[in-house]
Amino acid sequence: MTSYLRLTDVSKIYGTVTALSKIDLTAEKGEFVTFLGPSGSGKTTTLMIVAGFEKATTGDVMIDGRSISAMAPHERNIGIVFQNYGLFPHKTARENVYFPLQMRGQAKAQGLRKAAEMLDLVGLKDLGDRYPKEMSGGQQQRVALARALVFEPSLLLLDEPLGALDKNLREQMQIEIKRIQRALGVTTVFVTHDQSEAMSMSDRIVVFDKGRIEQAATPLDIYHRPQTKFVAGFVGESNLVEATVTDAAAGKADAAELGQCDYKPDAALKNGQAVTLLIRPEHIKLSRQPLEGRKNVRIKVDTIVNYGDNALLMGHTEKRTLRCRVLGADIVIIKEGDECHLSWLPDAVVPIAG
Amino acid sequence: MNRLLITLGIIAVVFVVAPLVIVVPMSFSNARSLQFPPPGYWFGYYHAYFTDMRWLRPTWNSIIIAAGTTVLTMILVVPATFALVRHRFAGKSFADVMLLMPLAVPHIVMAVGYYSYLGMFGLVQTHLGVILAHTCLSVPIAFLVLSANLKGFDRTLERAAQSLGASPVRTFIHVTLPILKPGLIISALFAFIQSFDETVVAIFISGRNAETLPRKMFDSIRQEADPVIAVVSTLLFALVLAGIVLPPLLKSLRSRVTPAPAAQALSTAENQS
Repeated sequence: MTSYLRLTDVSKIYGTVTALSKIDLTAEKGEFVTFLGPSGSGKTTTLMIVAGFEKATTGDVMIDGRSISAMAPHERNIGIVFQNYGLFPHKTARENVYFPLQMRGQAKAQGLRKAAEMLDLVGLKDLGDRYPKEMSGGQQQRVALARALVFEPSLLLLDEPLGALDKNLREQMQIEIKRIQRALGVTTVFVTHDQSEAMSMSDRIVVFDKGRIEQAATPLDIYHRPQTKFVAGFVGESNLVEATVTDAAAGKADAAELGQCDYKPDAALKNGQAVTLLIRPEHIKLSRQPLEGRKNVRIKVDTIVNYGDNALLMGHTEKRTLRCRVLGADIVIIKEGDECHLSWLPDAVVPIAG
Repeated sequence: MNRLLITLGIIAVVFVVAPLVIVVPMSFSNARSLQFPPPGYWFGYYHAYFTDMRWLRPTWNSIIIAAGTTVLTMILVVPATFALVRHRFAGKSFADVMLLMPLAVPHIVMAVGYYSYLGMFGLVQTHLGVILAHTCLSVPIAFLVLSANLKGFDRTLERAAQSLGASPVRTFIHVTLPILKPGLIISALFAFIQSFDETVVAIFISGRNAETLPRKMFDSIRQEADPVIAVVSTLLFALVLAGIVLPPLLKSLRSRVTPAPAAQALSTAENQS
């Protein structure tokens, strides 16, 4: 089966700098795919290559089995929402949304009606006659979304569209974008450096670093089964421990900093192999005394950051620091400077090769 | 302290405005020559201005030359501004400086240059000759205004237009041009005013056939001090006043049209000139 969107062997080289190196990725029809990575990781470059504003040095981009690499941006039928929205200041909201229909030769009366329907869908029913500067950031965002969707694009690209919004509005727009995307079933590529945004919105996440794809998987797989150290460190909070596999069949490894550690057995690992063990802070339990059936580590508490519903605790053993997340109610009895135990189950330890 | 500052401010205003205020009553004077304060008032010199071909012809010349200068200036400046603001190329900074040169060089020097240069082509004392010379002087001003506008132009808008299906040409027509319109209008206005206003070069090369209004005024005040000069000055003053007062008035009537880039360009241009 061929995928709806397919990038094959796409590279981008600026002089001596390789911005993207041999990217292969796919998206199925109707899928919501997020490109996640730090700035300069190549995620935006990839998006711009798909949009046609950057030309790939090598490789090909196909939509629905047809190569679009040779097409100009205006021939690609791809809707884009830019970070600063890119609304036309000299046009009203409705005229902005009508613009792509106008470019496609649709009659004005019919086009404006369709634009009004689209504005209705994004929740701006009565604001069609406003100019962009008369609207709030969130409203402009919705207009930009309506404008990018009204012409039924074959693909929707979102380039960090929520970056300029405050936290509450951002969460509201995340839900809103997902709702509209599902309602229309449009294949969507979303670019962000915000991992929680990626986790909450995506069907699949593609993690970029240094111009390469580190991992492409569902949000839960990315979080619970990261395949590289970078992914484990970039997505979510983590404790990463260097170790060597001692008994691959039973899932045992020896870590210089923590001693013998049991992990979730992984058939791909061999005895003597170097691994990085990932232990998520929320999988670690805090107690005064060692707990039965778990790996226990004695620590001294350095810092407690209280968030009310939960708290982040940082402490150190003789050799390294560890962080754990505990429920707000559990932290009351512990003070900075206390000695206590951190413990976890073997299943909470994820081995990453290399 | 406050009073002192206010007084100083008033003195500055009086100092600047006084010559204008003197000219206006003199235009209604019934004296035979320029005289202040006027001995009596009438409209005779207005009648004289509007019926005397010796004044109407230079006025017409000035309008034609300023219009021609504006058109030619914009034809040259619009592509040049896009090239210099948006593209990097070898010799770009040199081109930047050269384009602004006529602002720095004294007009009298430029005038001598045009006189000899246009002479070679037989263009001295022709409308075309004056238009060419005035265009050289208008280009840097129009360029300054327009480049300030273009630098502030958000290119995401052009990308957005293209992603929505507009070819580069349609993007220019539907997005770039309308958004730059205030800047274009103001730079054209500056080109027009600079030509209409220009005296030194006009004295050198306009001659009898293409005599402009400022040149006629200069000749007239040297030879006869005809009070019609005061009439012309008053009319020009009224015209400029209208040019300054009307746009904000229209703006407040049509408050929705973005005025910001235009106002910004205006202040930039004022700082530069």
